Amino acid sequence: MDMSKLVQQNVEMDMTPMIDCVFLLMIFFVLVIDLSQKNLEDLILPRAVFQEADDKPAENRPIINVLQDGTVVYNKEVFYDPKKHGKNYAPIKQLLLDIRKLGLFNKTLHLKDEKVGSKMVPLVDEPILIRADKWTEWHYIGEIMKQCSQPEIAFWKVELALSEQDKETGEKNPDKGGQK
Amino acid sequence: MSALDDAQEEVKPDMTPMIDVVFLMIIFFICIDFKVLESKLPAYLPKDKGSQTDVVEPQEQLSVKIHVEQAGTPEYKHGGANQVNPNTGRAYRFSLVGHKVKWEVGPKPLYNLADVDAELKRIATNPASMVPDKETGGRKLMGCVIEAYPGTYYEDVAKTADACKNAGFQEINFGGGLGAK
Repeated sequence: MDMSKLVQQNVEMDMTPMIDCVFLLMIFFVLVIDLSQKNLEDLILPRAVFQEADDKPAENRPIINVLQDGTVVYNKEVFYDPKKHGKNYAPIKQLLLDIRKLGLFNKTLHLKDEKVGSKMVPLVDEPILIRADKWTEWHYIGEIMKQCSQPEIAFWKVELALSEQDKETGEKNPDKGGQK
Repeated sequence: MSALDDAQEEVKPDMTPMIDVVFLMIIFFICIDFKVLESKLPAYLPKDKGSQTDVVEPQEQLSVKIHVEQAGTPEYKHGGANQVNPNTGRAYRFSLVGHKVKWEVGPKPLYNLADVDAELKRIATNPASMVPDKETGGRKLMGCVIEAYPGTYYEDVAKTADACKNAGFQEINFGGGLGAK
Protein backbone atom coordinates (compact mmCIF):
# COMPACT_ATOMS: atom_id res chain seq x y z
CA MET A 1 0.00 0.00 0.00
CA ASP A 2 1.55 3.31 -0.98
CA MET A 3 1.31 6.49 1.12
CA SER A 4 -1.35 8.25 -1.05
CA LYS A 5 -3.86 5.36 -0.62
CA LEU A 6 -3.37 5.42 3.15
CA VAL A 7 -4.18 9.17 3.27
CA GLN A 8 -7.34 8.65 1.19
CA GLN A 9 -8.59 5.99 3.61
CA ASN A 10 -8.03 8.22 6.62
CA VAL A 11 -10.10 11.19 5.38
CA GLU A 12 -13.24 9.10 4.65
CA MET A 13 -16.09 10.53 6.76
CA ASP A 14 -18.96 8.72 8.43
CA MET A 15 -22.02 10.67 7.27
CA THR A 16 -24.53 8.80 9.46
CA PRO A 17 -24.56 11.14 12.52
CA MET A 18 -24.82 14.20 10.29
CA ILE A 19 -27.78 12.74 8.39
CA ASP A 20 -29.38 11.82 11.74
CA CYS A 21 -28.97 15.39 12.95
CA VAL A 22 -30.36 16.82 9.72
CA PHE A 23 -33.44 14.59 9.98
CA LEU A 24 -33.94 15.56 13.62
CA LEU A 25 -33.77 19.25 12.74
CA MET A 26 -36.11 18.80 9.78
CA ILE A 27 -38.72 17.01 11.88
CA PHE A 28 -38.40 19.60 14.64
CA PHE A 29 -38.95 22.54 12.30
CA VAL A 30 -41.74 20.85 10.33
CA LEU A 31 -43.65 20.28 13.54
CA VAL A 32 -42.93 23.59 15.21
CA ILE A 33 -43.11 26.01 12.29
CA ASP A 34 -46.51 25.53 10.79
CA LEU A 35 -46.83 28.23 8.16
CA SER A 36 -50.61 28.04 8.16
CA GLN A 37 -50.56 29.30 11.76
CA LYS A 38 -48.84 32.59 10.94
CA ASN A 39 -52.12 34.53 10.96
CA LEU A 40 -53.11 33.23 14.36
CA GLU A 41 -52.70 35.34 17.48
CA ASP A 42 -52.00 33.61 20.78
CA LEU A 43 -55.52 33.49 22.17
CA ILE A 44 -57.39 31.20 24.53
CA LEU A 45 -60.51 30.14 22.69
CA PRO A 46 -63.65 28.94 24.43
CA ARG A 47 -63.98 25.17 24.59
CA ALA A 48 -66.85 23.58 22.71
CA VAL A 49 -67.85 19.93 22.65
CA PHE A 50 -70.47 19.67 19.95
CA GLN A 51 -69.14 21.96 17.21
CA GLU A 52 -67.47 21.01 13.93
CA ALA A 53 -63.77 20.18 13.91
CA ASP A 54 -61.70 22.64 11.90
CA ASP A 55 -59.36 19.98 10.56
CA LYS A 56 -59.87 20.78 6.87
CA PRO A 57 -60.09 24.59 6.74
CA ALA A 58 -61.03 26.22 3.46
CA GLU A 59 -58.01 27.34 1.49
CA ASN A 60 -57.43 31.14 1.48
CA ARG A 61 -59.85 31.64 4.35
CA PRO A 62 -59.27 35.11 5.86
CA ILE A 63 -58.69 35.00 9.62
CA ILE A 64 -59.61 37.96 11.84
CA ASN A 65 -58.25 37.87 15.40
CA VAL A 66 -59.94 39.77 18.23
CA LEU A 67 -57.89 40.30 21.38
CA GLN A 68 -59.34 40.52 24.89
CA ASP A 69 -59.65 44.30 24.79
CA GLY A 70 -61.40 44.20 21.39
CA THR A 71 -58.33 44.99 19.29
CA VAL A 72 -58.78 43.58 15.78
CA VAL A 73 -55.64 42.02 14.31
CA TYR A 74 -55.23 40.73 10.76
CA ASN A 75 -51.93 39.21 9.59
CA LYS A 76 -50.25 40.42 12.81
CA GLU A 77 -51.27 44.03 12.07
CA VAL A 78 -53.64 45.99 14.30
CA PHE A 79 -56.55 47.51 12.34
CA TYR A 80 -58.92 48.52 15.09
CA ASP A 81 -57.93 49.58 18.58
CA PRO A 82 -60.87 50.34 20.88
CA LYS A 83 -58.76 52.76 22.94
CA LYS A 84 -57.97 54.77 19.83
CA HIS A 85 -61.08 54.31 17.68
CA GLY A 86 -63.78 53.88 20.33
CA LYS A 87 -67.16 53.40 18.68
CA ASN A 88 -65.83 54.31 15.26
CA TYR A 89 -65.92 50.91 13.56
CA ALA A 90 -64.95 52.29 10.14
CA PRO A 91 -61.46 50.66 10.29
CA ILE A 92 -63.10 47.21 10.64
CA LYS A 93 -65.31 47.93 7.64
CA GLN A 94 -62.33 49.15 5.63
CA LEU A 95 -60.32 46.05 6.57
CA LEU A 96 -63.11 43.75 5.37
CA LEU A 97 -63.50 45.75 2.16
CA ASP A 98 -59.73 45.50 1.54
CA ILE A 99 -59.71 41.74 2.23
CA ARG A 100 -62.56 41.31 -0.22
CA LYS A 101 -61.00 43.55 -2.88
CA LEU A 102 -57.58 41.92 -2.66
CA GLY A 103 -59.05 38.42 -2.51
CA LEU A 104 -61.17 38.99 -5.62
CA PHE A 105 -58.21 40.57 -7.44
CA ASN A 106 -55.88 37.66 -6.55
CA LYS A 107 -58.67 35.17 -7.23
CA THR A 108 -58.33 33.72 -3.72
CA LEU A 109 -61.93 34.75 -3.07
CA HIS A 110 -64.83 34.20 -5.44
CA LEU A 111 -68.30 35.63 -5.78
CA LYS A 112 -71.24 33.31 -6.15
CA ASP A 113 -74.74 34.36 -7.09
CA GLU A 114 -77.22 33.27 -4.45
CA LYS A 115 -80.96 33.50 -4.76
CA VAL A 116 -82.26 35.97 -2.22
CA GLY A 117 -85.99 36.45 -2.47
CA SER A 118 -86.65 36.94 -6.16
CA LYS A 119 -83.17 38.27 -7.03
CA MET A 120 -79.72 36.77 -7.58
CA VAL A 121 -77.21 38.50 -5.31
CA PRO A 122 -73.39 38.12 -5.55
CA LEU A 123 -71.96 36.90 -2.22
CA VAL A 124 -68.44 35.86 -1.22
CA ASP A 125 -68.38 32.08 -1.43
CA GLU A 126 -65.42 31.54 0.92
CA PRO A 127 -65.86 31.63 4.70
CA ILE A 128 -64.18 34.10 7.02
CA LEU A 129 -62.92 32.93 10.42
CA ILE A 130 -63.23 35.09 13.52
CA ARG A 131 -60.91 34.06 16.35
CA ALA A 132 -61.48 35.75 19.67
CA ASP A 133 -60.28 35.17 23.20
CA LYS A 134 -62.85 33.54 25.49
CA TRP A 135 -62.83 36.72 27.62
CA THR A 136 -63.45 39.10 24.72
CA GLU A 137 -66.66 41.07 25.05
CA TRP A 138 -69.20 39.70 22.61
CA HIS A 139 -70.16 43.07 21.14
CA TYR A 140 -66.76 43.33 19.39
CA ILE A 141 -67.39 40.02 17.63
CA GLY A 142 -70.99 41.04 16.94
CA GLU A 143 -69.72 44.24 15.32
CA ILE A 144 -67.45 42.30 12.94
CA MET A 145 -70.35 40.01 12.05
CA LYS A 146 -72.54 43.05 11.45
CA GLN A 147 -69.95 44.52 9.09
CA CYS A 148 -69.55 41.16 7.29
CA SER A 149 -73.26 41.13 6.48
CA GLN A 150 -73.16 44.54 4.77
CA PRO A 151 -74.03 44.17 1.06
CA GLU A 152 -70.78 45.79 -0.14
CA ILE A 153 -68.75 43.25 1.90
CA ALA A 154 -71.08 40.22 1.77
CA PHE A 155 -69.04 37.68 3.71
CA TRP A 156 -72.06 35.67 4.73
CA LYS A 157 -70.25 32.47 5.73
CA VAL A 158 -68.77 33.44 9.08
CA GLU A 159 -67.04 30.87 11.24
CA LEU A 160 -66.33 31.40 14.93
CA ALA A 161 -63.22 29.65 16.19
CA LEU A 162 -63.56 27.41 19.21
CA SER A 163 -61.20 24.97 20.84
CA GLU A 164 -61.33 21.34 21.87
CA GLN A 165 -59.27 22.23 24.91
CA ASP A 166 -59.52 25.19 27.27
CA LYS A 167 -55.91 26.28 27.69
CA GLU A 168 -56.88 28.41 30.71
CA THR A 169 -58.47 25.67 32.80
CA GLY A 170 -56.88 22.66 31.08
CA GLU A 171 -60.29 21.10 30.40
CA LYS A 172 -60.39 18.86 27.35
CA ASN A 173 -63.23 17.37 25.40
CA PRO A 174 -64.16 13.87 26.61
CA ASP A 175 -63.20 12.06 23.40
CA LYS A 176 -59.62 13.30 23.81
CA GLY A 177 -59.22 11.59 27.14
CA GLY A 178 -59.86 14.63 29.30
CA GLN A 179 -62.75 15.43 31.59
CA LYS A 180 -65.73 17.39 30.52
CA MET B 1 -6.24 -10.90 23.93
CA SER B 2 -8.07 -14.10 24.95
CA ALA B 3 -11.03 -15.68 23.13
CA LEU B 4 -13.31 -14.62 26.00
CA ASP B 5 -12.32 -10.93 25.55
CA ASP B 6 -13.07 -11.18 21.81
CA ALA B 7 -16.56 -12.56 22.47
CA GLN B 8 -17.32 -9.74 24.95
CA GLU B 9 -16.34 -7.12 22.41
CA GLU B 10 -18.57 -8.60 19.73
CA VAL B 11 -21.80 -8.52 21.77
CA LYS B 12 -21.34 -4.83 22.72
CA PRO B 13 -24.37 -3.12 21.05
CA ASP B 14 -24.15 0.17 19.16
CA MET B 15 -26.51 2.50 21.05
CA THR B 16 -26.42 5.33 18.49
CA PRO B 17 -29.47 4.34 16.37
CA MET B 18 -31.55 3.65 19.46
CA ILE B 19 -30.69 7.05 20.94
CA ASP B 20 -31.53 8.67 17.58
CA VAL B 21 -34.92 7.00 17.51
CA VAL B 22 -35.61 7.93 21.14
CA PHE B 23 -34.78 11.59 20.41
CA LEU B 24 -37.03 11.52 17.37
CA MET B 25 -39.90 10.17 19.45
CA ILE B 26 -39.32 12.71 22.24
CA ILE B 27 -39.38 15.61 19.78
CA PHE B 28 -42.46 14.22 18.04
CA PHE B 29 -44.48 13.81 21.23
CA ILE B 30 -43.40 17.14 22.72
CA CYS B 31 -44.41 18.99 19.56
CA ILE B 32 -47.68 17.16 18.99
CA ASP B 33 -48.92 18.23 22.43
CA PHE B 34 -48.47 21.93 21.60
CA LYS B 35 -51.07 21.77 18.87
CA VAL B 36 -54.50 22.24 20.35
CA LEU B 37 -57.15 21.29 17.85
CA GLU B 38 -59.52 24.06 16.98
CA SER B 39 -63.13 23.64 16.06
CA LYS B 40 -65.56 26.08 14.53
CA LEU B 41 -69.09 27.28 14.80
CA PRO B 42 -70.42 28.15 11.35
CA ALA B 43 -72.75 31.13 11.49
CA TYR B 44 -74.47 32.01 8.26
CA LEU B 45 -75.40 35.67 8.22
CA PRO B 46 -78.52 37.01 6.54
CA LYS B 47 -77.96 37.26 2.77
CA ASP B 48 -80.71 39.76 2.19
CA LYS B 49 -79.41 42.71 4.16
CA GLY B 50 -79.78 45.88 2.15
CA SER B 51 -79.71 44.04 -1.15
CA GLN B 52 -83.32 43.52 -1.97
CA THR B 53 -86.67 45.16 -1.61
CA ASP B 54 -88.77 42.02 -1.14
CA VAL B 55 -90.64 41.66 2.12
CA VAL B 56 -89.03 38.84 4.11
CA GLU B 57 -91.43 36.58 5.90
CA PRO B 58 -90.66 36.42 9.62
CA GLN B 59 -89.45 33.01 10.77
CA GLU B 60 -90.39 31.40 14.03
CA GLN B 61 -87.28 31.18 16.19
CA LEU B 62 -86.49 30.31 19.76
CA SER B 63 -85.00 33.27 21.60
CA VAL B 64 -82.11 32.52 23.98
CA LYS B 65 -81.08 35.67 25.83
CA ILE B 66 -77.92 36.02 27.89
CA HIS B 67 -77.81 38.69 30.61
CA VAL B 68 -74.99 39.54 32.98
CA GLU B 69 -75.84 38.56 36.53
CA GLN B 70 -72.50 39.49 38.06
CA ALA B 71 -69.65 41.24 36.26
CA GLY B 72 -66.38 39.44 36.94
CA THR B 73 -63.06 40.82 38.10
CA PRO B 74 -60.07 40.60 35.75
CA GLU B 75 -57.19 38.65 37.27
CA TYR B 76 -53.73 38.91 35.72
CA LYS B 77 -51.18 36.11 36.03
CA HIS B 78 -48.47 38.30 34.55
CA GLY B 79 -48.32 42.06 34.25
CA GLY B 80 -51.40 44.18 34.83
CA ALA B 81 -54.12 46.23 33.21
CA ASN B 82 -52.92 48.61 30.47
CA GLN B 83 -49.48 46.96 30.44
CA VAL B 84 -47.99 45.55 27.27
CA ASN B 85 -46.04 42.30 27.16
CA PRO B 86 -42.72 43.28 25.54
CA ASN B 87 -42.30 39.76 24.08
CA THR B 88 -45.57 39.78 22.15
CA GLY B 89 -46.32 43.48 21.82
CA ARG B 90 -49.86 42.74 23.02
CA ALA B 91 -51.61 43.58 26.29
CA TYR B 92 -51.23 41.06 29.10
CA ARG B 93 -53.99 38.48 29.22
CA PHE B 94 -56.46 38.27 32.11
CA SER B 95 -58.91 35.66 33.37
CA LEU B 96 -62.32 36.81 34.49
CA VAL B 97 -63.11 35.63 38.00
CA GLY B 98 -66.64 35.58 39.40
CA HIS B 99 -68.36 36.35 36.10
CA LYS B 100 -71.94 35.06 36.15
CA VAL B 101 -74.69 35.21 33.58
CA LYS B 102 -78.32 34.21 33.48
CA TRP B 103 -80.24 32.94 30.50
CA GLU B 104 -83.77 33.38 29.24
CA VAL B 105 -84.77 30.46 27.05
CA GLY B 106 -88.03 31.67 25.60
CA PRO B 107 -89.70 33.29 28.62
CA LYS B 108 -88.03 31.01 31.18
CA PRO B 109 -85.17 32.44 33.29
CA LEU B 110 -82.37 29.96 34.03
CA TYR B 111 -79.26 30.36 36.15
CA ASN B 112 -76.90 27.58 35.09
CA LEU B 113 -75.84 25.95 31.86
CA ALA B 114 -77.07 22.47 32.83
CA ASP B 115 -80.62 23.83 33.17
CA VAL B 116 -80.27 25.65 29.84
CA ASP B 117 -79.14 22.40 28.26
CA ALA B 118 -82.13 20.50 29.70
CA GLU B 119 -84.62 23.21 28.67
CA LEU B 120 -83.25 23.36 25.11
CA LYS B 121 -83.49 19.56 24.82
CA ARG B 122 -87.08 19.67 26.10
CA ILE B 123 -88.01 22.30 23.52
CA ALA B 124 -86.18 20.49 20.72
CA THR B 125 -88.08 17.26 21.35
CA ASN B 126 -91.46 19.01 21.58
CA PRO B 127 -93.45 18.45 18.34
CA ALA B 128 -94.75 22.03 18.64
CA SER B 129 -91.19 23.26 17.90
CA MET B 130 -91.34 21.90 14.35
CA VAL B 131 -91.87 24.50 11.64
CA PRO B 132 -92.52 24.15 7.89
CA ASP B 133 -89.36 23.69 5.82
CA LYS B 134 -89.72 25.74 2.65
CA GLU B 135 -86.84 23.96 0.90
CA THR B 136 -88.01 20.38 1.35
CA GLY B 137 -91.72 20.96 1.92
CA GLY B 138 -91.53 18.92 5.11
CA ARG B 139 -91.05 20.05 8.69
CA LYS B 140 -87.90 20.93 10.60
CA LEU B 141 -86.86 22.06 14.04
CA MET B 142 -87.16 25.84 14.40
CA GLY B 143 -83.97 27.87 14.53
CA CYS B 144 -82.74 29.65 17.62
CA VAL B 145 -81.34 33.13 18.04
CA ILE B 146 -78.80 33.89 20.74
CA GLU B 147 -79.09 37.46 22.00
CA ALA B 148 -76.10 38.46 24.07
CA TYR B 149 -76.70 41.52 26.22
CA PRO B 150 -74.02 44.12 27.07
CA GLY B 151 -71.26 42.79 29.32
CA THR B 152 -71.44 39.22 28.03
CA TYR B 153 -68.33 37.53 26.71
CA TYR B 154 -67.50 35.20 23.85
CA GLU B 155 -67.22 32.35 26.39
CA ASP B 156 -70.89 32.83 27.40
CA VAL B 157 -72.10 32.85 23.79
CA ALA B 158 -69.92 29.89 22.76
CA LYS B 159 -71.14 27.75 25.65
CA THR B 160 -74.77 28.66 24.86
CA ALA B 161 -74.28 27.87 21.16
CA ASP B 162 -72.72 24.56 22.17
CA ALA B 163 -75.79 23.74 24.29
CA CYS B 164 -78.07 24.63 21.35
CA LYS B 165 -76.10 22.34 19.06
CA ASN B 166 -76.21 19.56 21.66
CA ALA B 167 -79.99 19.89 21.90
CA GLY B 168 -80.29 19.41 18.13
CA PHE B 169 -80.76 22.96 16.87
CA GLN B 170 -79.16 23.28 13.44
CA GLU B 171 -79.91 26.93 12.66
CA ILE B 172 -78.19 29.07 15.27
CA ASN B 173 -78.33 32.81 14.68
CA PHE B 174 -76.93 35.71 16.64
CA GLY B 175 -78.94 38.75 17.52
CA GLY B 176 -77.03 41.97 17.14
CA GLY B 177 -77.23 45.59 18.04
CA LEU B 178 -77.37 45.14 21.79
CA GLY B 179 -74.21 47.20 22.22
CA ALA B 180 -71.48 47.47 24.82
CA LYS B 181 -71.89 47.68 28.57
